[in-house]
Amino acid sequence: MSEFWNPYAPLDGRQRQWLGVGSVLALLLVWSLLTVTGLVSSTKLPAPWDVVTALSYLSWHDGDSMLFTATLWSVGRLLVAGVLVIAIGIPIGICMGAAPRVNAALSPLVDPFRSAPVVALLPILVMWLGIGETMKIAFLFIGAVVYLIPMVRDAIQAVPQSYWIGARDLGATPWECIHRAVIPMAMPRIADAVIVAFSVMWTYITVAEYVNARQGLGQLIQNARRFSAWDQVFAGIIVIIALALATYQFMVWLKRRLYPWETQQ
Amino acid sequence: MNVAAKPAGISAAAARPLSVVVKDIVQEYPAPGGSVTRVIDQVSLSFDQPGISMLLGPSGCGKSTLLHMLGGVRPMGIDTPTAGKVLIDGVECIGPHDDAVMVFQRYANRPDLTVFDNVAFPFRLNLWKARVPEAEWRQRVADILKAVGLADKLKLRPAQLSGGQNQRVALARALVLRPRILLMDEPFGALDAQTREEMQQLLIELYQSWPCLVVFVTHDVTEALVLGDRVIVLSAQPARVADDFVISEARPRSATWQRSREAQALEERILTQLHQASPGRGQVRVTV
Repeated sequence: MSEFWNPYAPLDGRQRQWLGVGSVLALLLVWSLLTVTGLVSSTKLPAPWDVVTALSYLSWHDGDSMLFTATLWSVGRLLVAGVLVIAIGIPIGICMGAAPRVNAALSPLVDPFRSAPVVALLPILVMWLGIGETMKIAFLFIGAVVYLIPMVRDAIQAVPQSYWIGARDLGATPWECIHRAVIPMAMPRIADAVIVAFSVMWTYITVAEYVNARQGLGQLIQNARRFSAWDQVFAGIIVIIALALATYQFMVWLKRRLYPWETQQ
Repeated sequence: MNVAAKPAGISAAAARPLSVVVKDIVQEYPAPGGSVTRVIDQVSLSFDQPGISMLLGPSGCGKSTLLHMLGGVRPMGIDTPTAGKVLIDGVECIGPHDDAVMVFQRYANRPDLTVFDNVAFPFRLNLWKARVPEAEWRQRVADILKAVGLADKLKLRPAQLSGGQNQRVALARALVLRPRILLMDEPFGALDAQTREEMQQLLIELYQSWPCLVVFVTHDVTEALVLGDRVIVLSAQPARVADDFVISEARPRSATWQRSREAQALEERILTQLHQASPGRGQVRVTV
């Protein structure tokens, strides 16, 4: 136990896996017990195996996969919003980080939104943009971009000044210092901001799809809720968590591939 | 050192005539309580030929600030100098100068670039891209990397190199531009004693192939005696020129010379000046 309260102690891979799997199994066990013993009624908490049944029903039923179609729609919306977040948010964040005047002008417009109730914007977006796809994508975009922009700005500002001075001394113009030295040095942290933005969008996808969605995982959950099919609601939530986790793992892997020097430092 | 042993590729072309004048430089920084602290007080110096000039002084005496002014770099965004001016070839130097390149103590190499790309970095900039054709700079980069002994490490990143190797990269990046003025800000200060000696040796070799004006900031008296054609001693804050003399002994300077009466007298002279300059402060290092 001497190594228990030691954050620097190495943990071998197998032990880590067993601890992780163990706690998931423990959760499943408690869940099963609660439903089997009738401590919580099945109308409030479906049994784990009922959720598995619902998952397989949603995956393949009557020659059609509702789950697959819904996933494609949700992923599609997320990707469109994600591309917009990257294409608009990163340049704004870079300008704010690189030019104190731009930062002074824009930060009162951007920073407060990090703690703003973005969900409360939904009715306003419906009023402005209607109930179609534009509204859903705009909602995902706003939800994620208000996190991304300040993170990108901070990434730029975190680059040590010495790299700027060094490039300047070698004859770089101020703009060359930014795009040849500061931005490349900030890229790993900008990648972190993109990863956070996608995580945020996964948490907002159900909200975006609550309003008049004919397709998508949020609609699938919403629809199941209407018929009190709690097993399907749980199945939908589990699928979203799994997709968000897969997105996260993939992007972290990609970041390590693109910027291997960051971990070497 | 004979001609055959010169590092390949750096041609021995004599640098063009040169004039660097530091004229009545004063530097003040705002201090707490609304007053100002004078860091540099009326410093005047002039350099009119290639050579290694050692700028020696106690820690925090403003020698780095002075060096930054020679390079036209303004690290803190504060106006430098407060008064006085730096003239290069008779023209007042107000921004980074194409002929002056700096080598910093640390944080100079880009961790995201390979050794080759670190040295080739200046040629990605419009200024040098327009002046040096690609075939030529590729050749220059290859040659200088050979000269500093990193020809087999082109693809490594700074994190995979030792401290000494990293400073070799920094030296190569500066010299690949063939500057007339090389400004070195305690470049070997963070290295261990043995590596520091190797780097001093390397600098002497590189200087012989490319004789330019080297202004070398250090607080190491031995380093000043091993490298300097000229030694300028600055006093403690505010910095004034306390002493300025020439060492005519040819480089490389043998251990015998370093123990000679002449060398010891020079060391004594520098130490006396420094102790007068900073009573009770022991930030001056003497190795060997």
